[in-house]
Amino acid sequence: MSDKIRTTHGGSLPRPAALIEMNRARSEGQPVDERALAECLAASVAEAVRLQKAAGIDIPDDGEFGKATTQAFDYGAWQSYIFARVSGFSPAAEVPKERLRRAGSHGVALGRFRDRRDWKSFGEFYQDPEGGPFAGKLGETRGGGIGGARRPVCSGPIRYTGHAALKADIDNLKAALAAAGMTQGFMCSVAPGSCARTEDAFYKSDEEYVYAIAEALREEYKAIVEAGLTLQLDDPGLPDSWDMANPEPPLEAYKKFARLRIEAMNHALRGLPSERIRYHICWGSWHGPHVTDIPLADIVDLVLAVKAGEYSIEAGNVRHQHEWRVWQEAKLPEGKVLVPGVVSHATNVVEDPEVVAERLVRFAGVVGRDNVIAGTDCGLGGRVHPQIAWAKLRALGEGARLASRQLWRSA
Amino acid sequence: MSRILTTHVGSLPRPPALLERYRQRADVSSELRSAVAEVVRRQRELGIDIVNDGEYGKAVRRAIDYGAWASYIYERLSGYEVRDLPDGGILRRSKDRADFAAFYAEDGSVKETVQARPRAMVCTSAVRYTGQALVARDLDNLRAALDGGKATAAFVTSVSPSSIEALQPNAHYRSQEEYGWAVAEAMKEEYTAIGNAGFTLQIDDPGLVVLWDWWFARERGWAEYRKFAEARVEMLNHALSGVPEERIRYHLCWGSWHGPHSTDAPLGKVADLVLKVRAGAYSLEAGNVRHEHDWAVWREVKLPAGKRLIPGVVSHSTNVVEHPELVAERLERYADVAGRDHVIAGTDCGLGGRVHAQIAWAKLEALVAGAALASKRLFR
Repeated sequence: MSDKIRTTHGGSLPRPAALIEMNRARSEGQPVDERALAECLAASVAEAVRLQKAAGIDIPDDGEFGKATTQAFDYGAWQSYIFARVSGFSPAAEVPKERLRRAGSHGVALGRFRDRRDWKSFGEFYQDPEGGPFAGKLGETRGGGIGGARRPVCSGPIRYTGHAALKADIDNLKAALAAAGMTQGFMCSVAPGSCARTEDAFYKSDEEYVYAIAEALREEYKAIVEAGLTLQLDDPGLPDSWDMANPEPPLEAYKKFARLRIEAMNHALRGLPSERIRYHICWGSWHGPHVTDIPLADIVDLVLAVKAGEYSIEAGNVRHQHEWRVWQEAKLPEGKVLVPGVVSHATNVVEDPEVVAERLVRFAGVVGRDNVIAGTDCGLGGRVHPQIAWAKLRALGEGARLASRQLWRSA
Repeated sequence: MSRILTTHVGSLPRPPALLERYRQRADVSSELRSAVAEVVRRQRELGIDIVNDGEYGKAVRRAIDYGAWASYIYERLSGYEVRDLPDGGILRRSKDRADFAAFYAEDGSVKETVQARPRAMVCTSAVRYTGQALVARDLDNLRAALDGGKATAAFVTSVSPSSIEALQPNAHYRSQEEYGWAVAEAMKEEYTAIGNAGFTLQIDDPGLVVLWDWWFARERGWAEYRKFAEARVEMLNHALSGVPEERIRYHLCWGSWHGPHSTDAPLGKVADLVLKVRAGAYSLEAGNVRHEHDWAVWREVKLPAGKRLIPGVVSHSTNVVEHPELVAERLERYADVAGRDHVIAGTDCGLGGRVHAQIAWAKLEALVAGAALASKRLFR
C-alpha cells in the first residue's frame, strides 16, 4: 500500500515522427531497413518511459509504440495491430459477401461505424465535410479500417502468430523500465470481445468465433503477465458495441451477448493472477456526441465479472463524469482498484490540476483512497496533438500530487 | 421562482440561408427577421427561459466562426482601417501560443480558427459609434420575435471595450489608456440603446482575462496586469452608466478557441474584479476542464446579495454532449455555494460557430434536461 494516489494512463502515447514515417513506408510496401526500424522502436520506447516518469506517471507503458500507426492521428491502432499478429483474417474484398456473418449473438448483430445510432442521430455532423472543429481527425477515424473493402474479416482458423513482435515489445518495455529505474509497467492487449467485431466467414457460430479469438489471444496475455508486467485488456467493445446494434436491442439481450464475450475472456485469462490484470473500458474515443452510450450502471455487474484486479473506466469526459456515483451503489470488491479517467482526449483544453485532484478526491471518497489509481479516459496518443497529450499527463501527475496531499494530510 | 432558470451565452448556429446571404454580402434584412423569429421559437420550445436572437444580426461568413461576437463591431465603429501587423499579429506575445507552438501550427482544430492574425482592424482616427441603425434593427427583430413576450426574459449581447482593445490595436491615441476610454465612450451608446429597449444587456468580456495571456504572462507580470485590469473595469462601468444594474449581465470567458488554455488567469485571482463590474448577474465558464473547479472560488468570495451566477454547465470545448446528470450535479454544486435562487444554468460560451449545429442544439437540450433534474432535487 502506498501513501499516495498512484498514476497511470490508457496506453497510447504520441508516436515520434520518425517511427510513424517508417511504419507508413512499410505499410505502403516500400523497402524498410528492419533493423533500423527495430532500433528506432526501442529508442522511442526508452524515451517515452523517461518522459512518463518525468510527467509523474508511476506505472508507465511503451506508449503502444509497437502497435504500428502510419499517421499522427489514429484512433484504431489499439485493435488494428492484432490483425498482424493472428492468422485467419483477410480483407473483406477477398471474401465472398454471402459468406460473411455479422458478429453478434442473442439477437444482437453488430453493424459498421456508419450504422451506429449516434452516427444516425447526428448524421449531418458526422458527414459534414468541414467536420466541425475537429475536422481532419474525425475524417481519419472513418477510414481507419473500421469500414470499407480493406477491413479485416475472419476467413480461416485463428492462431496467434505475433510471438516475435510481442517479444520485441516486452523486451523494449523492460529495458526502458530498467533504464529509467522503474519497476512497474503495463502493456495493452485487445480483449476478445473488441477483436471479434468484424464479420466472420469461417466459424460455425458466434460463440466458436469469440472463443477462437480468446484462445489465440491467451498467448499474448500469458506472455505479458509472465514477463512481470501488468496486462491491460482494452475492451471498448463491452460498452460501445451497444451503439453498433441498430435498432437498440433489449438490455437483457445485449447483456447476454456481452456476457458470452466476458466468459470467453475469463477463459483466456485462466490461471493468470488477477492482481496483474487491468481491464479497460471506454465508449469509443472518436470526437462525437456519444449520446447513445450505454450507462455504466447497466453494465457494471459485467465489468466486475472480469477476473481483473484493476478496472480502468472513462470518467473524465462530460458523458461519463457523473458516473462516479455508480460506485456508491455497486460495491467494488475487496482488494480491487479503480482507475478512473481524470484527464480526457475528448477536449484540447488541458485539465487544471485542481480539477484532476477534485475528481480523484471524489473517487477516493466512494471507494477509499487506497483503491484509486489516477488514469486517463483513453490513450491520448493519436487522439489529441502530442503537445496536448503530454501536457495532460503532466496535469494528471500534478493533480494526483495535490489529491494525495489532501487525502493523506489527516492520516 | 421554484426552479433553476436556463439561458445560454449568445451565439447559436446560423441557418444556412442566412449564412449564404452573409457570405454573398447581400442585404440580409428579410432573411434575418424570419431567422430571429424562428430561433426564438426554437429556444422557447426547447425550454430556454432567457432567450436571445442567436446573435444572428452579427455577421458571419462560415458555419464555424469564433469571432462574430466581436467582429460585428467593425461595421459599427468608425476610426479603424485594416492593416498588416508584425509577425504573430495581435497574438505574438501570448504565452499559451509560445508554450504550445507546435500544436497551434499543426492541429486541425485550431488551424483555421486561431491563426496568428497577421492583419487587424487598427485604430487610426477618433473612435465613434456609428451602429445606431444596426442595433435598432436587431432590437426590433428580437422584439417582434418575442411577440408580446416579456422583454426582460430576453438578452442582447454586446462586446466589451477591453475585448475591442485586445482585438483592434491602437495607432491613434497617445496611450492605451486613452484609447480604452475612447472605446468605452463609443460603446456606451450601444449599451444604452439595448438597456433602453428593456432587454437584458450581456457584456461579452473575454478581453479582461485573455489579455493576461496575450500581453502580460510572458514578461510584464501579475502586478502590472492587475493595474491594467482594474482600469478596464472602471472604463466598462463608465460605459454601463446608462443602464440599470439589474438589467446587466456580465459574461467572462477565457476565449473560445479549442486550445490548451494552460495560462488562463485563475478565477480566484480576479473574482474581486469581476464583482466590481456593475451587473446583476455574472456569466462564467465552468463547464470545461480548465474551469470546472472554479465553483470552489465562491466558497471564499461572497456573492453580494441580490446578484446571480450563471455558470457554464455545458461547453463548446468538446463535441461530447453533456449528460443531463452531470449538468444537474454542476448546478447543485453552485446552488450549494451561492444559494439555489441565485443560480441560472448557462453555457461556457456561445455554442453557435464553435461546435457543429447539431451538437450545439443537443447541448442546449442537455442543459434544459439537467436544470430540470437539479430543480427537482433542489426545490422538492
